[in-house]
Amino acid sequence: MREELVWLDEESPRARNAVQASLEFVGALGVLLFASIRGLFSGRLEWRETLHQMAFIGAASAPIVALTSAFTGAVVTLYSASLFVEVGGGNFVGGALAVAMFRELAPILTGIMVTARCGSAIAAQLGTMKITEQIDALRALAVSPIQYLVIPRVLASLVMFPMLGMIANFAGIVGGWVVADAFGIGLSSFLQSIRLLAEPFDLIGGLIKTLVFALIVSLVSAQQGLAARGGAVGVGRATTRAVVLSMVLIFAANYFLADLLFAKR
Amino acid sequence: MKAGVPALETRQLVYAVDGKVILKGIDLRVEYGEVVGIMGASGSGKTTLLKCLCGLLKPTSGEVWVEGVNIAPLSERERMPLRLRLGIVFQDAALFDYLTVYENVAFGVERHRKLSREQVRQIVRERLAWVGLEGVEHLYPSQLSGGMRKRVGLARALAMDPHIVLFDEPTSGLDPVNAYQVDRLIVRLNRELNLTAVVVSHDVVSLMRTCSRIVMIEAGQIIAEGTPETIRQLEHPQVRAFLRMASSETLDDVPWLGYNIGQEAQV
Ligand SMILES: Nc1ncnc2c1ncn2[C@@H]1O[C@H](COP(=O)(O)OP(=O)(O)OP(=O)(O)O)[C@@H](O)[C@H]1O
Ligand SMILES: [Mg+2]
Repeated sequence: MREELVWLDEESPRARNAVQASLEFVGALGVLLFASIRGLFSGRLEWRETLHQMAFIGAASAPIVALTSAFTGAVVTLYSASLFVEVGGGNFVGGALAVAMFRELAPILTGIMVTARCGSAIAAQLGTMKITEQIDALRALAVSPIQYLVIPRVLASLVMFPMLGMIANFAGIVGGWVVADAFGIGLSSFLQSIRLLAEPFDLIGGLIKTLVFALIVSLVSAQQGLAARGGAVGVGRATTRAVVLSMVLIFAANYFLADLLFAKR
Repeated sequence: MKAGVPALETRQLVYAVDGKVILKGIDLRVEYGEVVGIMGASGSGKTTLLKCLCGLLKPTSGEVWVEGVNIAPLSERERMPLRLRLGIVFQDAALFDYLTVYENVAFGVERHRKLSREQVRQIVRERLAWVGLEGVEHLYPSQLSGGMRKRVGLARALAMDPHIVLFDEPTSGLDPVNAYQVDRLIVRLNRELNLTAVVVSHDVVSLMRTCSRIVMIEAGQIIAEGTPETIRQLEHPQVRAFLRMASSETLDDVPWLGYNIGQEAQV
């Protein structure tokens, strides 16, 4: 497996149609994943860069993930409470929200927010390094860009996404409770209903989703950045594509994961 | 280093990208301890040749031998160890813009040599002193002038103690004093540490005083080769024009070669 295929786009002729381009993209992702796994076990870990990325992807994303989740939890409760209270099912509100948050909303919101915030930044940074020859400079100093740039970002994402998912869960429930309270649903009945309806696996399955999303965002963004070419416009294109492709893949993966984890047959 | 094995050698090196052939069969041989200059007009393929020599670009066809190993068919991973012994100074410095000067110069050393922090600091200070930079360790590349960046790039490559160094226009963009000092540094490294160097430049003066041999390339092909003396005396029209224009102090005693305006005569 030749890891240089990820960035030495000179070696492969430009893809001529959409099918070829997609296949090339999937191939590059596969190579990058394989090279990252191999590098993780055979090379030295760049601790400092990994911690740096953890702070950037995790800590710095927490407020925005919390904020969007809180509002999402609030709006879901707004609809469900007005429906449930009408038909006398006020004590289902908390549970319905919790299941929705744990399984779907928290993982997806985490994925989207981090893609927007960090996927774009990863692609832009690596893309700029590519076109200003900094990637070449790394290689010339016998440092693998995969070891130094890609693995820290993938690892940091894998560690931080589940934590962000937990934050999203918590914030969503809090946001929902604030609205529920306005509908006259008390805290104890709200919590009681969560305990009744939500299962531990709803939580665990949601966190498993975030791990897959972490892999998607970090690998796609790194790949797009490393494959950037053609000046500032090229970096812009790489950034856009990193965000769009990550989002599409997240939503597609989300469907299949939902089927796999939660569908009862 | 084995006897008889050249430090660097290319055989029928061809490099093409996007259907455009940039190097058209280069045969170059660099012995240990030589300083070889590569001279040529802008766009003639000098940078591309250097990048093929250190394995950053993969040749389309032909062979690239580095210290007795043909690196052309090797994968990126297999080429990595080789780069510890071979340094390259980039034309545009290519400094890591998110790291300070100190971190840039220390980058390779910290990763590849088991040295104490104090030893690393010593090496960084010394290499920066070699290129005439002191007291800039804490600055970021964006806070430096172009010439200073270039010299940091030089220090970064030399920090790894490579025994072959490829210099891509080490003196372009430097003032005459600093250019002179950099040329002197290259010659001193060659004499005192037996450094093998390939110096790419279109600065004829600088090449003449540093190199033991000069190779002239044009449009991806070697068109002349020899010691500075033989190159100076060569009757080759392109070489002559190149040298005369480089040393000309007036603008009308040189026959017109390019940029056709009106009907000026072609040589
Ligand atoms: N990635 C690329 N894609 C297409 N063409 C390229 C690429 N890289 C280089 N070239 C072309 O190859 C030729 C040689 O480029 P190279 O950078 O090697 O020139 P050079 O001799 O170093 O010039 P200069 O003295 O200006 O630095 C140029 O005509 C350039 O347009
Ligand atoms: Mg060049």
